[in-house]
Amino acid sequence: MRKHLSSIKQEEDENEINLTPMLDVVFIMLIFFIVTSTFIRAKGISAQRPDQSQQQQVVQNKKGAILVIIDNSDRIWIDGLVIDQRAVRPNIVRLASEEANRPLVVQVDSQSSTNTLVDVMDAARQAGVTNISIVAGTS
Amino acid sequence: MDEERFDEEEESEINLTPMLDVVFIMLIFFIVTAVFVKSPGVSVTEPSAVTAQTPGGGSIFVAITSQDQVWIDGHKHPLPAVRGEIERLKAENPESGIVIQSDENAHNSTLLHVMDAAKAAGINDITIAAKLK
Repeated sequence: MRKHLSSIKQEEDENEINLTPMLDVVFIMLIFFIVTSTFIRAKGISAQRPDQSQQQQVVQNKKGAILVIIDNSDRIWIDGLVIDQRAVRPNIVRLASEEANRPLVVQVDSQSSTNTLVDVMDAARQAGVTNISIVAGTS
Repeated sequence: MDEERFDEEEESEINLTPMLDVVFIMLIFFIVTAVFVKSPGVSVTEPSAVTAQTPGGGSIFVAITSQDQVWIDGHKHPLPAVRGEIERLKAENPESGIVIQSDENAHNSTLLHVMDAAKAAGINDITIAAKLK
């Protein structure tokens, strides 16, 4: 009787698939992906860059858009006046309130620094303008 | 009597199925979320902004140093080679946007050049990196 039972048990053991090697592989893959996964922590401001053909149009068609110019010594011009960096935001707020959903065009000189550009874009976004295009200056 | 013994042995075995389920779900999660970020290989001082936010799906990173050198995937690239490099990275990850980590003292001409290269490579999702103020 005992012999009979053990033979049944053995058969059952053989019928069961041994999962241990698969588990090992799965665990190793899991650990690999946990270790190599890097969650992107970079933050930033999204920007639009019009095509070359659109750029002239964007700059010339000043009526719809708010135009901010950054010159080669990092001065910020709005409406033909040099604006202090801290005054950019209230100026954009004023211009944006004239008409709903006005886009903003930043015309940057090639010698200006990124810091000024990001400052202007940040000010615009704080003023509620999110449609920001960057075009190259003509100087 | 024999049957009872048999039952006991079965119960003493730990049931691994729920754990396997959990492990598989974790594995699938990590495979799906895995983005192999190719860091530019140089650290820059990013400008700070109040409205900085996490970009949608950016995994192409381009760094511009204060000397206007462009770094992608651990190597410095001359300006004309930037477009080809961005195209190569885009081919590996077609849905990807681009994050430009420009030093605060970098000139905007370089930034515009990289943005144009990204546009030419067919990437419209452009983010200028900034740290939260």
